[in-house]
Amino acid sequence: MAQPIVQTIHRDPALFWWILLPITVVMVLTGILRHYAMILLQTAPKKQALPQIRQQRSLVRGINLRTHAKVLPPASFQARKAYMVSAYQEGKFLADPESRGKPRPNPMSDPAAMEGMMGMMKGNMAMMVPQTLIMGWINAFFSGFVIMKLPFPLTPQFKSMLQSGVGTRDLDVRWVSSLSWYFLTLFGLQPVYNFILGSNNSATQSTQQMAANPGAGLMGPEQDPDKLFLSESENLEVLEYKWVLEGIEDRLVIKFGL
Amino acid sequence: MSHANLLSPPSSIPPKTALSLSQKAPLILAASPTSSLPWPLSLLFSRESPESWTIHENLFLSSLRTGDDKSARLTLDRMTTRFGADNERIIALRGIYEEALANTPAELEKVFQGYEKILREDPTNLSIRKRRVAILKSLGRPADAITALTVLLENSPTDVEAWAELSELYASQGLWAQAIYSLEEVLLVMPNAWSAHAQLATLYYLSTPSNITTLSLSLRYFCRSIELNDTYLRGYYGLKLVSQKLLPLLSDSTSLKRNNDEEEAGPPPKLATVKKLEELATSKLAEIVRQYNAGKTGWTGLDEAEVIAAKALLDHGGIER
Repeated sequence: MAQPIVQTIHRDPALFWWILLPITVVMVLTGILRHYAMILLQTAPKKQALPQIRQQRSLVRGINLRTHAKVLPPASFQARKAYMVSAYQEGKFLADPESRGKPRPNPMSDPAAMEGMMGMMKGNMAMMVPQTLIMGWINAFFSGFVIMKLPFPLTPQFKSMLQSGVGTRDLDVRWVSSLSWYFLTLFGLQPVYNFILGSNNSATQSTQQMAANPGAGLMGPEQDPDKLFLSESENLEVLEYKWVLEGIEDRLVIKFGL
Repeated sequence: MSHANLLSPPSSIPPKTALSLSQKAPLILAASPTSSLPWPLSLLFSRESPESWTIHENLFLSSLRTGDDKSARLTLDRMTTRFGADNERIIALRGIYEEALANTPAELEKVFQGYEKILREDPTNLSIRKRRVAILKSLGRPADAITALTVLLENSPTDVEAWAELSELYASQGLWAQAIYSLEEVLLVMPNAWSAHAQLATLYYLSTPSNITTLSLSLRYFCRSIELNDTYLRGYYGLKLVSQKLLPLLSDSTSLKRNNDEEEAGPPPKLATVKKLEELATSKLAEIVRQYNAGKTGWTGLDEAEVIAAKALLDHGGIER
């Protein structure tokens, strides 16, 4: 059986210096620049008003009571439960008691929500604009070059990924075109940024999206606080309660083996 | 705390450690973490790390404690240039500085007025609300401090620090039920805090003397604090003290009549169990005192005063309240 023919392409060493290296350097620098641009574009999170803080933390208090009820003696647990349930049902902790029972306003008309969307827009723009520019730059100057050979074989499925911009059917998959190198660096530079900028950088989109909305699950703008309070009061009512201090002295005796 | 460290919280360090920490001031103040270069270069050449500002803050507090106001001022100025004078934390630190420099009640009153002004502009600044409580306390107005704290807690009911402070204030006024309630709120947020359990036990112990129900509650809380941390000196101390009180009451059969309180706190512990617990506490305390005096590694982190108290309890059956 004959050996598979090894394709050899004689590349000008200048390709390395004038295409591969510039693309890599430009990509790394854009990432760093984007990181600092994001820091500059960030607006400080808007401060909540006192009633909102109260509303949110009162809910957290109820959740704490539910999850850690076992530390309380029976009498004080019952008293607390009765108070919290009735206060929740009356809507005592609501930030604006007047709007109770009314449907939530359209989020598009809420200026606070608009601001959040603007922040996301900014992040997207900071990602999109440089990408478009660099891709245009690579297409204009370097399209069609085969610039490197991967040191390992790959299946033909990778052809479209590694050889975009080079329209040859028979070329071995291991050859990488300049446009593909751009894509590879675009998605694969996260460890490099971590090394340069620290792990909490915003050089790529992925980390930025994760940090976009922390704490939205608990009391986001889209949720009705009254409903949350009511469901929490139900949770409290059906709670199975057991005091952790019950029989503690016997437990301790057993623990120390007396 | 056996080793001085500027990264740990400064509230509970003994005076000697605070002094040694504040003596590091010249060294830290000599080298600025921010670069003096113009803007784009300063980003690249700064030696700033998240820890450097924790160190600055703790240095600031230690310097104030030891009377090194000049270093405190320099540290504060440096933090102000870094974070801006409007930063909530900087405002609070500046407040602490002004409070520390105020010598007379009139001067403190002036700082207090400044806090009122800040709070009128931004009612959500909780650290300033806490500073306000601290001033009321040092002015000797505990009732006002309690009112201020209840307002704070009405708006932010998950604030452990404030609940603990409120509990202490209530206890200082002899309002045991309220103090216990406040401390239970602390437990709801931090259910595994053995120190809070021991404190709650102490409050029960102090609230009504020689009552089986409260004493057994107190005993149980001390037990819990030991269950959570089985080298906790204060837990054993309290356990011994309470079980000593409880033993004669339990063995006296006439006081064992059934009452309504029993439903609240469960039946009182068995006499034999309490005896065993008392023995346990005694042996543990003796071990702690012995190891501490021998200076064994791993036993030196204890507070000297607490060990002395434990020794006194072992020797003479405790200090009378």
